[in-house]
Amino acid sequence: MPRSRISEELREIAGAEAVLDGAEDLMLYEYDAGLSTGTPQWVVFPETTKQVSRIAQLASRMNVPLVPRGAGTGLSGGSIPRAGGIVLVFSRMTKILEIDAANRRAVVQPGVVNADLSAVVARHGLFFAPDPASQKASTIGGNVAENSGGPHTLAHGVTVNHITGLEVVLPDGGVVQMGGKAADSCGYDLTGLFVGTEGTVGIVTAITVKLTKVAEAVETLLAIFHTIDDAANAVASITAGGITPVALEMLDGKTLRCVEEATHAGYPMDSGAVLLIELEGLREAVTEQAEAVRAVCERHNAREMRRAANEQERQLLWKGRKTAFAALGRLAPAYYTQDGVVPRSHIAKVLRYIETVAQKCNLQIGNIFHAGDGNMHPCILFDMRDPDQVKRTHEAGRMILTYCVDCGGTITGEHGVGMEKNELMPLLFSEDDLEVMKWVHDAFNPKSVLNPQKLFPTPRSCRETNVAGGIGGSR
Amino acid sequence: MSPTVAAAGLARALAAIAGEAYATEDPARTTSFAIDEVVPRAAVEPGSAAEVAAVLQYAHARKLVVAPAGGFTHQHTGGIPERVDILLRTERLKAVEHYDPGDMMIGVGVGTTVAEVERKIGPHQQILPLETAQPERSTIGGALATATHGPLKHAYGGLRDYCTGVRFVTADGKIAKAGAKVVKNVAGYDLMKLLIGSYGTMAVITGASFKLFPRPPQMRTFVAQFARLAEAMTFRDHVLGSPLTPVCLELVSPHAQAIVAESFHPVSPNSGETRVGPPGETWRVLVRAAGSDRVLARYRAELGAAAAASEMGGDDEAQMWRSVAEFPHTLFERSRNAMLLRVDVALQDVAPMLEAAERAALDNSFLCAATGRIGVGSLLVGFAPIAVDPPSAMQYVNAVSYLRSMTPRDGSAIVLRCPLEAKRYFNVWGSTPNDIGTMKALKRAFDGEDILNRGRFLF
Ligand SMILES: Cc1cc2nc3c(=O)[nH]c(=O)nc-3n(C[C@H](O)[C@H](O)[C@H](O)COP(=O)(O)OP(=O)(O)OC[C@H]3O[C@@H](n4cnc5c(N)ncnc54)[C@H](O)[C@@H]3O)c2cc1C
Repeated sequence: MPRSRISEELREIAGAEAVLDGAEDLMLYEYDAGLSTGTPQWVVFPETTKQVSRIAQLASRMNVPLVPRGAGTGLSGGSIPRAGGIVLVFSRMTKILEIDAANRRAVVQPGVVNADLSAVVARHGLFFAPDPASQKASTIGGNVAENSGGPHTLAHGVTVNHITGLEVVLPDGGVVQMGGKAADSCGYDLTGLFVGTEGTVGIVTAITVKLTKVAEAVETLLAIFHTIDDAANAVASITAGGITPVALEMLDGKTLRCVEEATHAGYPMDSGAVLLIELEGLREAVTEQAEAVRAVCERHNAREMRRAANEQERQLLWKGRKTAFAALGRLAPAYYTQDGVVPRSHIAKVLRYIETVAQKCNLQIGNIFHAGDGNMHPCILFDMRDPDQVKRTHEAGRMILTYCVDCGGTITGEHGVGMEKNELMPLLFSEDDLEVMKWVHDAFNPKSVLNPQKLFPTPRSCRETNVAGGIGGSR
Repeated sequence: MSPTVAAAGLARALAAIAGEAYATEDPARTTSFAIDEVVPRAAVEPGSAAEVAAVLQYAHARKLVVAPAGGFTHQHTGGIPERVDILLRTERLKAVEHYDPGDMMIGVGVGTTVAEVERKIGPHQQILPLETAQPERSTIGGALATATHGPLKHAYGGLRDYCTGVRFVTADGKIAKAGAKVVKNVAGYDLMKLLIGSYGTMAVITGASFKLFPRPPQMRTFVAQFARLAEAMTFRDHVLGSPLTPVCLELVSPHAQAIVAESFHPVSPNSGETRVGPPGETWRVLVRAAGSDRVLARYRAELGAAAAASEMGGDDEAQMWRSVAEFPHTLFERSRNAMLLRVDVALQDVAPMLEAAERAALDNSFLCAATGRIGVGSLLVGFAPIAVDPPSAMQYVNAVSYLRSMTPRDGSAIVLRCPLEAKRYFNVWGSTPNDIGTMKALKRAFDGEDILNRGRFLF
């Protein structure tokens, strides 16, 4: 079928104004927040499940790739149309369909922005717990696809721990209801299986989420250390010591200085590292835990402890954390964020290794990360106009992730595999492991119409053409 | 009996894989492994994932039906097997694969019992919040396969929330894994979710990794008693709406109290006669709190006079929770012909479901005894016959049908255990899930020959 016929059919399904196929419009959908690129032939903004289903049928029938996209804040190229085709954008499916405060559930369309849901349910004293740093932009559909985490994952869990039901359109257009409002349902846990599949097995059109009670008290501390080692050891002692902060974030000295210049959050310019520690819960418990945290940090030679005296000070401390990547980004035309996870007792060692990689590859690397989870986010600064730097950046990323795996960890804790780390999957998984995962893929998406060439390593025969996909492009 | 292999050949082949001592077809042994009176032709105890793979390759090539088995505490759940050719026991898969207390993660072979894990991590003041009945017999593999949970689910979630990785062998004998040994990971599909609660129909799990949690240094339980269920629910909503963050929020129905109390002094199973004692008078809501004296004082203030009046601490408290966790087991110690359902519903459907259960029991000459995680919506509903004579199958069928007719669309009421005679008359799994087509497609992809627990799951 010629291209114009597909455009016509898409317009017939979703409405004339809901389809883009002009080159200049399509360019806007070549990127996400990572480094990969790919150009779609069509961008469609469906409004209903029915439309999504009909578009999937069309794509399946025509064998045209179909790629779902939320806000495009993904960091692993998940929403990039690697093989061209149709990009489905959910910016017209942004309704909160139901707030069921008595059951602690809400049902939302995939385009609802994460922070918007929490804002709307705040009047019930509830919130949606997964809080990726991108929560003011990223969609709940995207959070579900990536199984996103955030600073407060440490206590509250990642997205999958907060999803009980999904409506999913399969690549052949079939619509499936998985789970519901009950915490558990009969049969295989398809809801749990689906979360984190990165748009490769189905398209989410409605999501039943858990809502969590807002805690009565919150205490935010900043612990300042002379050395990274002290900070890292404090992290291991806090988590192993029976204290359960809701967030335990670390910023290294290099990052601190950038952040401070950009945000004036009051971070010390001359320290080795800081920990941002948040405790939540019953007032009495929070006070006691804050004391315990202070004691642990002091035992690990914290040079100073600060406490946010009010909400404004708390927001300021968090602002530094949440804008840290952007602040680092000011140092170079582009940055590449890694997302490996290691056992918490290995953090100090891994940070030292990252420093040697930075020296060896002659690159600047800052670290801002979810220390309590052992989820490292080394942020490699580079200039994409310099092919040699791009190559070294790629190499540095690979070295760091390999080291994380060698420490008993993983290559991604929350950003997903996408088209950015799919060639690294063999670091973790054997051919048999991957084949079994492929069974799941093929049971849902046998023709790979949906989001092709993602997550799985490229089969050997096709590797030549795709190997460059991991990194490059602009930013 | 399968026509494909001569009987003697099977045990010999299994012995060649696992060793003479670990394969048998001696009826004296295999009879003790009967599932719903279906005696397996042979039993094997592989000593490693590689041996599990060899057994499955052998079985797969010959289309032999395999039933994985741990401590035999949950084998009564599921449809009656069509046949069992090989009972694959996980007893020898007991290795501690990784445990560094500082990282608060553990990985174990699935034959490890829950109690063995607890003994390993206890000295480090850590807990695995699984809290199953019969921890000395229940294995990690069995807990995973049945998605078991106990009262701690209220605060810690279920296995799907704290199991971070699995090692398994597929029906055709591939050794594979998913997930990781760290707390957070999104690389690859989350096959943990697919295997947890799959009742051994997808793959044979051989090992798993879990997040551990610090054991609270001090715990205390507040017992609130109410004459009516509605009042108990009002209290629950009060607790859920308060700033309190209890570790357990458990309901014990009037008749369940006798059973829970009983497990302090176990009695031997009797011959069909029920000994559920005089009905308790009240609905109890147990609020388990962890924290310092100041935190506990706050609980007293928030919970009000009703709950603060009755407190438990120390060994009594721990014992009491152990006996609540034992409820699904003790129910049958008390009343061999009992029936147990697992009911999962949204929070506001808890009360209607319990009322429906009371009604179903009354109309069919049972006593209803229920416990449950009422802050989560997970209930265990027991039916103990009132009469001395065993009830007719129709009484069970009618009780279950009524309860299911009252179950909301996205809820479920699974019969975990009931007398075999009754099982022949209904589907233990209940209503067909909306997504059954997708489930079947996955089952075909993983076990196209349908050798794993054939006939026992939903389809
Ligand atoms: C500054 C910044 C900070 C970030 N911080 C965090 C963080 O703290 N934690 C974290 O986990 N991530 C973080 N991220 C990554 C990113 O924000 C998350 O992955 C987010 O969930 C992506 O949501 P999105 O709506 O932008 O999805 P997109 O990027 O548009 O898409 C992501 C994936 O979801 C799929 N998808 C989208 N909608 C659907 C649907 N309806 N059905 C099926 N598949 C769908 C896409 O195909 C793609 O594979 C951050 C990103 C940035 C730029």
